[in-house]
Amino acid sequence: MVADTRDEFLSLFSVYEWLMVAVTAVVFGAVFFALVRYRRRDDEWPRGRDEHKLAESVYAILLALIAAGLVALTFRTESRVDSLSAAPKLRIDVTAFQWQWLFQYAGSDVSVIGGPSSEPVLVVPAHQVIQFSARSDDVIHSLWVPDERFKRDVFPYRTTRFDLVFDRLGTHPGHCAEFCGLRHADMNFRVRVVPLDEFRRWLEGRA
Amino acid sequence: MSVALERPARRESGGLVASVLSTDHKRVGLSIMVVAFWWFLLDGVFALLMRTELARPGLQLMTRDTYNQLFTEHGSGMIYLFVTPLALGLGVYFVPLMVGAAGIAWPRAALAAFWLLIAGGLTMDSGWFTAHGAAKFGWTAFYPLSDANRSPGLGMDLWIVGVSLATLAELVLAACILATILRHRAPGMTMLRLPVFAWSQVATTLMVLMSFPALIVAMALLWWDRHLGGVFDTPGGPAAYQHLFWFYGHPVVYVMFFPFVGIAAEVIAVFSRRRFFGYTAMVLSFLAFAGLSMSVWAHHMFATGQVTNQYFSLTSTALIVPAGVEYFDMIATMVGGAILLRTPMLFAVGFLLQFLIGGLTGIIVASPPLDYHVHDTQFVVAHLHYVLFAGSIFAFFAGVYYWWPKIFGFFLRERLGKLHFALMVVGTNLTFFPLHVLGYEGMARRVADYSPHSGWTDLNELSTLGSYLLAGSVLVFLANVLVSTRRRQPAPADPWQGHTLEWATTSPPPPGNFDSLPEIRSYAPLYDARVRT
Repeated sequence: MVADTRDEFLSLFSVYEWLMVAVTAVVFGAVFFALVRYRRRDDEWPRGRDEHKLAESVYAILLALIAAGLVALTFRTESRVDSLSAAPKLRIDVTAFQWQWLFQYAGSDVSVIGGPSSEPVLVVPAHQVIQFSARSDDVIHSLWVPDERFKRDVFPYRTTRFDLVFDRLGTHPGHCAEFCGLRHADMNFRVRVVPLDEFRRWLEGRA
Repeated sequence: MSVALERPARRESGGLVASVLSTDHKRVGLSIMVVAFWWFLLDGVFALLMRTELARPGLQLMTRDTYNQLFTEHGSGMIYLFVTPLALGLGVYFVPLMVGAAGIAWPRAALAAFWLLIAGGLTMDSGWFTAHGAAKFGWTAFYPLSDANRSPGLGMDLWIVGVSLATLAELVLAACILATILRHRAPGMTMLRLPVFAWSQVATTLMVLMSFPALIVAMALLWWDRHLGGVFDTPGGPAAYQHLFWFYGHPVVYVMFFPFVGIAAEVIAVFSRRRFFGYTAMVLSFLAFAGLSMSVWAHHMFATGQVTNQYFSLTSTALIVPAGVEYFDMIATMVGGAILLRTPMLFAVGFLLQFLIGGLTGIIVASPPLDYHVHDTQFVVAHLHYVLFAGSIFAFFAGVYYWWPKIFGFFLRERLGKLHFALMVVGTNLTFFPLHVLGYEGMARRVADYSPHSGWTDLNELSTLGSYLLAGSVLVFLANVLVSTRRRQPAPADPWQGHTLEWATTSPPPPGNFDSLPEIRSYAPLYDARVRT
């Protein structure tokens, strides 16, 4: 079952975000507490224990449990994000090459390619499972749609498959994320998400 | 204890020739660190040029081609020629002193490695003067971008040879340091009485010895592919190159981290006037860290879709345990101590707090579904600079202010040191924190340009401003060195009331290191002598 990768990302990210804030607060708090409370006031040589095996062991087990929890959440999200649908609504073949994108709609002869001064605009239907089959003609590229919180590397000599669902109508920027040579920074595209019937009309109009 | 004070302020005897041919581990170690620091300055200038270009959308200062060379040489120089040699140079200088040895094992090999390192660095940098320019495929040289067709030119081959030579040098240095720890410890200095810094070097050198050969193999195969063909140009080839590269490329991250944790631990213990808390747990965490570091490499490859993401996510997230234990021990050393906030301690605390940011974003990139978004973006640039710059380099400067009086026999100025620290904290966070946001919002890494409609100009300007402050803080440090050297404030043998054996000899230590050694009953023998427990 594939959902919008943005939603998957955000629900997992919020857990990590809270953990980061909590840990930062605890560590900064502890360090500043120590700096103020235990500032050297006279020529003292404090006595204290050099270790506390029980506290350290309990703490290490606690850390392991946190790690296990994060890994479990990560696995659950990843199995959804990485899953491939047996019956996607639409298949799109992606060809990446220095320094452009070619998108071909499987089952029709419609394709979209960018030019020297124009970014290719990939038109896709909303709320549908779309399977991408990506291949590079030269070096490694990476297809990245920041609004979808997703990227996947595109390799030469082999095909990479992934599913995406776009729930938000409108135009989203896309970039090549893997450094691919001279004009890497210019290798951009756009994704225009439209309702299904509008997509059908668009596809027929292009055929 | 006051021997150094009675001795006349000593110029480096014997001049330049003697100093570059000496097999004294202190000369070799110092030479490595000084040369590495030159590469820090050079590659820092490269970074300033890049940040200046990125302050505004469009290209104002340089071509795309120049930008690509700059980020490649910046990353390569900082990793292969600055932080890694620095991590090992510190070991060459201080490990023999800390274990109570008269010298390093295989001193001539260590000296040869120093020269090999220089040869490697010059070979790499000479690419700038070739027809196609310096290497421009990133410090990782991913295939097939790095093949003969996509990256033609002598500069690329010089990079491959340079990286191999530097890596070979680092292997030799690691062997010398580890052999010193295993074979040349003073009587009474058992393995479980090694100072924390020496243990950090054990873990570091083990990782170097086990993982660096993979990089030399990768470089040899890449060279073969470029000139004779037929190595990586298969369906699995590009990923195979990445596996070889990251099998080196992740352990090296901890090579560039452990010795600096070791410094922070020593500094925190000394300036808190406490024995380092949780020594056994710290040693175990170093070893667990080093062990795990050999099995996390493909977390750099989550987005390839060609590795078992779950496995590498599991091992990478498990690093929370040893990393958390190290934080616990360092903070627990401060709690209940008597803390003196001199410059070394300031930098150590700066390390502790700032590295935390890099460590926490590290947990994010260890989760594949999160990494899918932030991988290869400015977010990762922010993450790695919080680890390496806000972390390791801050701890390095803690070590510089801490050990300077030991190495040279005089102090660095305290007020300039505090100014250096303050400027560096502001500069570091101003430079690198905005990159988290930029990457999250969609700015890829390794780009010379971005759209004026992206809304990223303000944060980029802020980051560039921060980088100038950073440059200013480094200038303050250099001024401090100059002022302190011109008008010396002589240092006694043990100015900080240290815990470890390097403080039991004169400042600077004599050629044979020690006239006599105190009794060694723990990992803090000088502390024991001072505080009878």
